[in-house]
Amino acid sequence: MAFLELTDIRKQFGQAVAVEDFNLKVDRGEFVSFLGPSGCGKTTTLRMIAGFEIPTEGSVTIDGADITNKAPNQRNVGMVFQSYALFPNMTVAQNIGFGLRIRKESESAIKERVDEMLALIHLEQKGHSYPSQLSGGQQQRVALARALAIRPQVLLLDEPLSALDAKIRVSLRAEIRAIQRKLGITAIYVTHDQEEALSISDRIVVMSQGHMEQVGTPFEIYNFPQTAFVASFVGTLNTTTAEVVDSAKGILQIDGARLATAEKLDGRQKGDKVTIAIRPERFSFASEQKKANVVDCRIENITFLGSIVRIQVSIGSGKYFMDTFNNPFLELPKVGDKDQVTCSREAVLVLKD
Amino acid sequence: MKKKINLWAWFWIVLGALYFLVPLYGTFDFSLREKRGVLSLLAYQNVLADPRFRDSFTYSTLMALATIVVGLLLIVPTAYWVHLRLPQVRPLIEFITLMPFVVPAIVLVFGLIRIYSGPPLALTNSDQLTNFLLMCGYVIISMPYTYRSVDTGLRAIDVRTLTEAAQSLGAGWFTILFRIIFPNIRAALLSGAFLTFAIVIGEFTLASLLGRPAFGPYLVYMGNNRAYEPAALAIISLALTWAAIGLIQLLSHGRPGQEQVGGVH
Ligand SMILES: Nc1ncnc2c1ncn2[C@@H]1O[C@H](COP(=O)(O)OP(=O)(O)OP(=O)(O)O)[C@@H](O)[C@H]1O
Ligand SMILES: [Mg+2]
Repeated sequence: MAFLELTDIRKQFGQAVAVEDFNLKVDRGEFVSFLGPSGCGKTTTLRMIAGFEIPTEGSVTIDGADITNKAPNQRNVGMVFQSYALFPNMTVAQNIGFGLRIRKESESAIKERVDEMLALIHLEQKGHSYPSQLSGGQQQRVALARALAIRPQVLLLDEPLSALDAKIRVSLRAEIRAIQRKLGITAIYVTHDQEEALSISDRIVVMSQGHMEQVGTPFEIYNFPQTAFVASFVGTLNTTTAEVVDSAKGILQIDGARLATAEKLDGRQKGDKVTIAIRPERFSFASEQKKANVVDCRIENITFLGSIVRIQVSIGSGKYFMDTFNNPFLELPKVGDKDQVTCSREAVLVLKD
Repeated sequence: MKKKINLWAWFWIVLGALYFLVPLYGTFDFSLREKRGVLSLLAYQNVLADPRFRDSFTYSTLMALATIVVGLLLIVPTAYWVHLRLPQVRPLIEFITLMPFVVPAIVLVFGLIRIYSGPPLALTNSDQLTNFLLMCGYVIISMPYTYRSVDTGLRAIDVRTLTEAAQSLGAGWFTILFRIIFPNIRAALLSGAFLTFAIVIGEFTLASLLGRPAFGPYLVYMGNNRAYEPAALAIISLALTWAAIGLIQLLSHGRPGQEQVGGVH
């Protein structure tokens, strides 16, 4: 049985539906991210686990106990907020010890736990500082320690890194993940940053407009997006409409080219329209190696992105991106050149409608 | 160029200071002239020797403290709840708290007397209950100031997120209010308390019509019957008020860890 279960969750604010048909089972110690654009219901779902919102329908259980209607302060759930939300009138140590003090633990137990937490976040020297004397990254680490100090059953993080600058964001997310692993705590992490979600999670729930689009490991989400939304939201992706030519052999016609796909086209008739997607890195120039799909194209634009060179090509009337690794001996084509690109049958993804 | 601006700044500061200090000095000077031809503290001696002075000032100080406590206990949770859950009723609450500016104290006190001088709630029959009634009146007339200070204080902190953070750590409403909200709007609470103190100490209408021995009516009584003592009284009450305010300031600064927070704001 899963540790944290959300079953048939629906949340309405007045007439507006914020979340619906939400079903998720999270195992003990798992790190799950909710990923999606602004307003898709990530925070609302998280707040239902924390108890700040009560679902209109459905249930939330932790470790078999139904907590759907429990008050937030009756649950044992730690929460980390985007704005840190440290208590400005308390020192770092008092902030971390706050939850333990509420639980009426002994002063010596509190001190021990606070020291342990300070060591965990590498801020041993800052116990007597006030939050306003710390940097944003340090404050968020304190907030994390404060949430963990109470030994919560589940740790919830709502865009904890959005207020920080890029470098700290990357190092702190690694730190959060390391701490989560070390403590083996079940964590739900909300973000709208796909790179963050891909790098940090065991599993990702991609959300759009209040419902789940796809649940899977970062590998699955990136390589096998099931819907056009997931495909476009996670990573860069070329999508276009194609017409089914031969569903048994997986032959599709796009404007200006014929492509073969390895995916099953069960139930599709000749002439049906489908949406297909191809990752930029799955394209290569046909001269490099022969693959199933070789297509005439014209070079439209070349962008240098450091380790990657992104080339825009046109096939028929459509424009597509193609990524190649940069290296000093790379012979780049020129804009306006005619060339041939290729991709494997497996690279041509057929998306659900 | 820079010099010139500084000069003007000083000019205005001095002008402003004179505006306040000249009348004060005038009063002070006058208060020393009870004995013909020499400067003396006779007026002060007379005032301090008068038991009614001590009694009325003590009475009003206690009333002011009670008003501050009751007013804050009423206003802070209300303003907090409005911030947290009912932002849409804020205009209504603001309107209500402005009522004391619109309705004169004399109207308020007649209303109180009419309602509470007969059954079912005959409060004016006993001194203690009349004191209570007077304090309620004070809470009302100080409400515009208290509410505005508290509201400003609450706007300066992230009420909702701090509340939720405390809740997720297991805190109930009482803990949240007294351990998180009150300490973090301390400056606002203090300024509300100062204003309330200043209002209650000098208040005349309510106290006099409810027949309570407060400092305001005493001041007026002296003003009507003596020449030099009222000036001395004015100076004394000013000094005492400032001393009381300083005391509150001092007491509230005594708590550990608070200074640094104040320093950041
Ligand atoms: N208290 C509320 N009252 C009314 N509508 C709300 C409330 N909270 C959220 N909503 C609505 O529910 C929807 C989902 O909001 P939510 O905050 O969960 O989005 P989100 O995915 O967290 O977005 P973001 O990335 O911007 O934080 C939005 O349309 C929002 O307007
Ligand atoms: Mg959100």
